Amino acid sequence: MSPVIHPRPNPIVAAMYTLRDMDVDVAVVHGPAGCGFMAARMLEFAGMRVATSGMREKDLIYGGSGPLVETLRSVAERFDPRTVAVVGTCASMIIGDDMAAAIRKADIGRTVFPVDCHGCMGDNTRGAIRAIEAGCAAGIVSPGEAERQKALFRATTEMERRRGLTSREYLQPVPGPTKMAVCRHICDSLREGKRVAAVMLGKKELAYRFADVLAAVDEAGKALGGETFLAANLDPEKGLPRIRGYAREVSSELRARGVEVDAVEGGLDEYAVAGPALKEAVDGFRPDLLVLAGIPHAYPGMGEGDVLITDQPRQLSGYISSGCRYAVGEISSHSMVMGAHSIVPTETGDTLRQTAGLSP
Amino acid sequence: MDHCPAPIGLGGRDSIESDGIARIALYGKGGIGKSTVASNVSAALADAGYRVMQIGCDPKADSTRLLTGGERIGTVLERMDPEPSGLEDISSVGYGGVLCVECGGPRPGTGCAGRGIMVALETLDRLGATESFKPDAIIYDVLGDVVCGGFAMPIRSGYARDVFIVTSGEAMSLYAAGNIASAVRDLGESGYARLSGVVQNSKGISGEDGLVAAAAAGMGADVVARILRSQTVQDCEAEGVTVVEGRPRSEQAEAYRSLSKTILERAAPSRGDS
Repeated sequence: MSPVIHPRPNPIVAAMYTLRDMDVDVAVVHGPAGCGFMAARMLEFAGMRVATSGMREKDLIYGGSGPLVETLRSVAERFDPRTVAVVGTCASMIIGDDMAAAIRKADIGRTVFPVDCHGCMGDNTRGAIRAIEAGCAAGIVSPGEAERQKALFRATTEMERRRGLTSREYLQPVPGPTKMAVCRHICDSLREGKRVAAVMLGKKELAYRFADVLAAVDEAGKALGGETFLAANLDPEKGLPRIRGYAREVSSELRARGVEVDAVEGGLDEYAVAGPALKEAVDGFRPDLLVLAGIPHAYPGMGEGDVLITDQPRQLSGYISSGCRYAVGEISSHSMVMGAHSIVPTETGDTLRQTAGLSP
Repeated sequence: MDHCPAPIGLGGRDSIESDGIARIALYGKGGIGKSTVASNVSAALADAGYRVMQIGCDPKADSTRLLTGGERIGTVLERMDPEPSGLEDISSVGYGGVLCVECGGPRPGTGCAGRGIMVALETLDRLGATESFKPDAIIYDVLGDVVCGGFAMPIRSGYARDVFIVTSGEAMSLYAAGNIASAVRDLGESGYARLSGVVQNSKGISGEDGLVAAAAAGMGADVVARILRSQTVQDCEAEGVTVVEGRPRSEQAEAYRSLSKTILERAAPSRGDS
């Protein structure tokens, strides 16, 4: 295969998100001030502080330890954090800055550890794995959980290579068609008394968004008839504390809204491996129509007639070009769920409610 | 102004053939005597009436020491903050009016010396070094092996046009010379420098002339001069002067003068592109 030429997720940003998952208080990006800019803002909404050593040209030549030491001291004073991680970037790692030595020199007396990563490592999950390994070495993640996380990241990479973002040489981002046709299709099926299964394969915090699809299908079913079956990877006993918290919060909100999830398989960090168990549960229901929200291609045997809802504009173009007629996008979902503590309505969900004659 | 200045860092001089400047780079294994050769060639050219600029591309910043009475001069990179406003801020005038420039760079084991070379050369460009000093010849004296892109910078982007490799007959020196020749060849795109000859800086080992000649032939080059090993060089180094300045009537000084003529002929801008 020719090289994949569309831009793809970055190992540095993946490391930053993984630090957030580990509840690290501050991530210090050791590199140029603009490196990780967009990700930093999102992560700050989610409660992790992000700082930068703001390397300049002179630091490329003479080494960036000086500004890193100053940044660490400023971070200690300003945020009084328990845990701080220093994240490598292309700039600092190419010139071989010794982040561990700078951490010792800054001597701020907290749990501070370096994550040796940069943008040219290949798959973004390599950065995530480096972050987990560094967190494990620093004692904030158990060795058992670290091994589990690494296996999940490797499974994610494999899934993307087979069916996702790295499975094609080029995927053009598309905003996607409107939600009307998709929602009419779901409503028609329900009115005809058909069996509709809605499955969320949620990736961590994105559950706050895609759980809305489960709720909307449930509401439409109650209004129009037919039979519905809901399944999701919302096991609150799996994963890092923060991720378990997402599952608990989303599940209890669904319960409070009278939405019963019929099958729960896998935790919110197990989106890449939970597909088969969810499919087994759904197959027992023998659905006429399948609605897949979150990471549809994590569901084995995802087909052209299924309704697919993704937040990834490039992934969406992959679905549409492979013949999936009912693929829609909930673009920009990510920015809406950072720091969320309740389910964020989707356009698809609200359109489905309207189409079913309910007021969203 | 009737045209836009060349963008910084892209070389892009209108034409290095037409600006009338001999652009010479000396490469070779560390410690082989490049700076001594460079300084003596610069001094000889200055004595012959040419305007010469010698640029040391080595974090050690000791290329031009023999032209400045043994004194270390400030480096381009040391004077980056505040930004230098003119060429005089980042250069010193040495023996015979030779304009001495040291790129400088980080302490060993920190930062990136290669990036330093790039930034220093860009700074010289930005300050219009060639336009304001109007040299007849520029000599880049480049550290040891071409270990990364930064040290290939003088070869690229129209900085130097003719590369001379300084080597003795010792195996490690010839090995380094071979690596440098490959780098020049691999970078050999239009507008980049070419290998224009080998300078034998003899160590006095047996069969040295033959060894160097054979190695040069293997690189597709010839030996443009044989500098003999001489105590005079050591004596002058101790005094902090070039042989050309300190022992102008010595055979050694004559050898450097002869080498400077040959290098200038080879690097003359009028010489057609090969």
